[in-house]
Amino acid sequence: MIGIVVVSHSRALAEAVVGLASEMVAEGDRPVIAVAAGLDETTFGTDAAAVAEAIAVADSPDGVLVLLDLGSAVLSAEMALEFVDPEVAERVKLSSAPLVEGLVAAVVTASTGATLDAVLAEASRGLAGKQDHLGDAVSETSPTDDASDHVIEVAVSNEHGLHARPAAKVVGLAQKFEARVTLTNLTTGKGPVDAGSLSMVATLNVQQGHRLRVGASGPDAHEALAALGALADRGFDDVPVATTPAAVGKSGSGLDVAIGPAIVADQEIDLSGYQADDADVERQRSKDARRTAEVQLIALRDQTAATVGTAEAAIFDAQLALLDDAVLLDAVLHADKSAPDAWKSAMDELASTFEGLDDPYQRERAQDVRSVRDRVLRALVGAVEASPADGGLLVVRELDAATAASVDAERIVGVAVRAAGTTGHGVIVARSRGIPVFTGIGDVAVPSGALVAFDARAHEFVVDPADGGKRFRTALRERAVEREVALAEAEQPAVTVDGQTIAVLANVGSVQDALDARGADGSGLVRTEVLFGDRRVAPTVDEQVEAFRAIAAALDGKPITIRTWDVGGDKPLAFLPQGREANPFLGERGIRVFRRQPELLRDQLRAICQVAAETPVQVMFPMVTTAEEVAWAREELAAIGAPEGLKVGIMVEVPAAALRIATLADGLDFVSIGTNDLTQYTTASDRGNSAVAGLADGLDPAVLQLIDRVVRGVPAGVEVAVCGDLASDPDAAVLLAGLGVHELSAVGPQVPTIKARLRKTNLANATKLAAKALQLDSAAAVRALTG
Amino acid sequence: MGVENFTNWLRDAASTLHENAAYLTELDSAIGDADHGSNMDRGFAAVVAVLDEVSFESVDELMKKAGMTLVSKVGGASGPLYGTFFLRFGTALAGAEITPATVGEALKAGVGGILARGKAELGDKTMYDAWAPALDAYDDAVAGGADLGGALAAAAEAAAKGRDATTPLVARKGRASYLGERSAGHQDPGATSTTLLLESAARTLA
Repeated sequence: MIGIVVVSHSRALAEAVVGLASEMVAEGDRPVIAVAAGLDETTFGTDAAAVAEAIAVADSPDGVLVLLDLGSAVLSAEMALEFVDPEVAERVKLSSAPLVEGLVAAVVTASTGATLDAVLAEASRGLAGKQDHLGDAVSETSPTDDASDHVIEVAVSNEHGLHARPAAKVVGLAQKFEARVTLTNLTTGKGPVDAGSLSMVATLNVQQGHRLRVGASGPDAHEALAALGALADRGFDDVPVATTPAAVGKSGSGLDVAIGPAIVADQEIDLSGYQADDADVERQRSKDARRTAEVQLIALRDQTAATVGTAEAAIFDAQLALLDDAVLLDAVLHADKSAPDAWKSAMDELASTFEGLDDPYQRERAQDVRSVRDRVLRALVGAVEASPADGGLLVVRELDAATAASVDAERIVGVAVRAAGTTGHGVIVARSRGIPVFTGIGDVAVPSGALVAFDARAHEFVVDPADGGKRFRTALRERAVEREVALAEAEQPAVTVDGQTIAVLANVGSVQDALDARGADGSGLVRTEVLFGDRRVAPTVDEQVEAFRAIAAALDGKPITIRTWDVGGDKPLAFLPQGREANPFLGERGIRVFRRQPELLRDQLRAICQVAAETPVQVMFPMVTTAEEVAWAREELAAIGAPEGLKVGIMVEVPAAALRIATLADGLDFVSIGTNDLTQYTTASDRGNSAVAGLADGLDPAVLQLIDRVVRGVPAGVEVAVCGDLASDPDAAVLLAGLGVHELSAVGPQVPTIKARLRKTNLANATKLAAKALQLDSAAAVRALTG
Repeated sequence: MGVENFTNWLRDAASTLHENAAYLTELDSAIGDADHGSNMDRGFAAVVAVLDEVSFESVDELMKKAGMTLVSKVGGASGPLYGTFFLRFGTALAGAEITPATVGEALKAGVGGILARGKAELGDKTMYDAWAPALDAYDDAVAGGADLGGALAAAAEAAAKGRDATTPLVARKGRASYLGERSAGHQDPGATSTTLLLESAARTLA
């Protein structure tokens, strides 16, 4: 591991920045960080001799990176290089990176065992994140000269930019030609890099909306550029995974409950028994293992294409491209290490490169890298992939696509994933196979073979459940029956036993969500900030029209309620950067954001008005507190020219809004209660903070009283809906209907279940139940009453 | 002309810089971080402390030790810059007889070190704006038959002119460069301390 030296005028500054950066990495993984700062504790200054000493302390055969503040720090550090042994000076690099950002990046990268050049490069990129976020200096960095004979510029239009799969297509294509092909990200100024190397292409961090320069030199330069230009025009053939409705029960149970003996497959591959040989033998072993992995991946790809889908199979093309990566392979074959060590360090470095990227989707691609790493390592040490003979519940650290595609759904009842995150390739594949998945179980100890169970609906994962997991087995049986019945009747309206119809709609954040929402009477909440959440640039009016239209079509033209940008709090939007707030949940959220900068909202209202002329649409403003805000929003809407029939409503999340609903909702068509926020604001408890999460219970009678007040207080003719999590819980749904809520909007897959439950409900009884609940003193008491 | 003369130079320079510390710091407070005077005073006081403790056999050893001391004790950018000057000045005089010509070469080597370290150019509003005319004047004086004292006096005079000429300039190096246009109208502290050093040399190496 390289060593790091921090040179600063101020000792306090240096110690603080070292403390800050050290926090990023566990103590055992930290590089040596030596400090040369200040003339003493309090006198500002730098001392070349002290820098030279610090270099000696941090010196390692892998090299030393020196990070500096300004002025004399630079001169002293340069001078220090003349003081140290020339042999040492050779392996010292001075970094021009900003001290804080650079050191954080350097410590993290160095901890992975990365080379000096790699750490230097990462440190130099330290400012990029901040610049990108604040939208400055993004395009003014001029890409370094590209010496290519011919160049073209292409735009990146596909949703996630050049993430693993489209990047693999670029790399694969670039390698086909007798030409040296380079890529430069003109938007960020990164590059040029070798287009034949996946790891290098990944470092460009190419996002949707970026422009790329493709350069080519050599006999086939023109052909290569033409082919790459055509690929770019096709959006890099980036077919979104799972664009067709996921067929529930394709092979797994399709439920959200699973129970079985734990099959723990989260161990690192044991390399301790490996006997390294001389360099030539190690190289040959590396090549053999690579070949073995390649054969396995091709088989997996073909099998997945046949049984799951071609889009999912493309994941394995990306993994295969990793095996072909010239830069990676070069690092492996020329490392002065045993074959497993060489593969492990090269792949870990690449994985950390991915993890350093801005886009969460791209960051998760690191698991593809680790999946390939483990495949190669298994081939090297002759380990067999965990493939239990008996069935059970698989517990993995990460669910990579290969595992998700290859687990035997007949025997694996479900997969519990330690890592959080639901957009990984593996989770996508498992879902489309109908395998129950539960993510984010964390570091809970799971002995191999122990009985484990999860219930995703109840957010519960239990090791060794009581009574042999009777509760989960019962739930499993009930859910299976429930699901079967509910699905069969999903398209029917939810009419209570006493003849009242409750509309059950779906909350959607994507077209896929709308497609998955079987039986929904429309959408009670289109989360526009989720729909366009991974965009770097704001969508145009036309793009929004297109997306809203697609959602309406997926719901067979039933009414959709489009919520205007609900940004802020825990929902940042890349194209609408917000200042840091001490208390974001009490800051500029929802409609508040747009009072100062209404343009984005106006564009959105234009799109909504346009779609409203074609299909039933309601518009809903989030985070409203005062009647003045409602009036402002309506003026904005009127200025754009709302078509006849566009229904207008607000969300009720702020207790103040619930309390004065009579004046607030005057003249509106509907209000929709966001129970998650209403609960956290009413109980002053953050659901994400485990210390107080128990207080933030939507069934708290205080919250129910506010809902009751809204139902009773709205002016005549104003519909009351609930679109928070409470509407997705069948028991709570009955209670809400009993309180007089007219419309429930639940998560898509729950719609059939909620409908089925309401069909069995007598609304008169539910009303009595609700009246009782309002009198109770705790959420637990309400739960006991309804459950 | 030997170790004693050069020791006198360093002692005289130290006392001059001490006397002018407040003035240098005042100049630096206008366009920099208000520490040039105290930094130089601290650095040269440390050099004097070394002179009190150690006796030197040769001019080059003396000058190199002074350079190393300045590097470690000055703290600001002038530490490595003057430090480098004295290191290279001393190195150039190793084994050489002290003549106007060899001192001229040593001065050039020292200033070359400053340039290599600071990467300044003429007109950047730095100490080099005093050093450059000083070197030219020194050479001209030697060519005209001047002795060491005479050549150094010519150099000091030229340095003073160069120093004065820094006032209208916009700083392009160092902390002052952060001020941009606002740095114009102030005399450069580095060029000022350089002039003081050369004036001290003209007094003591005559």
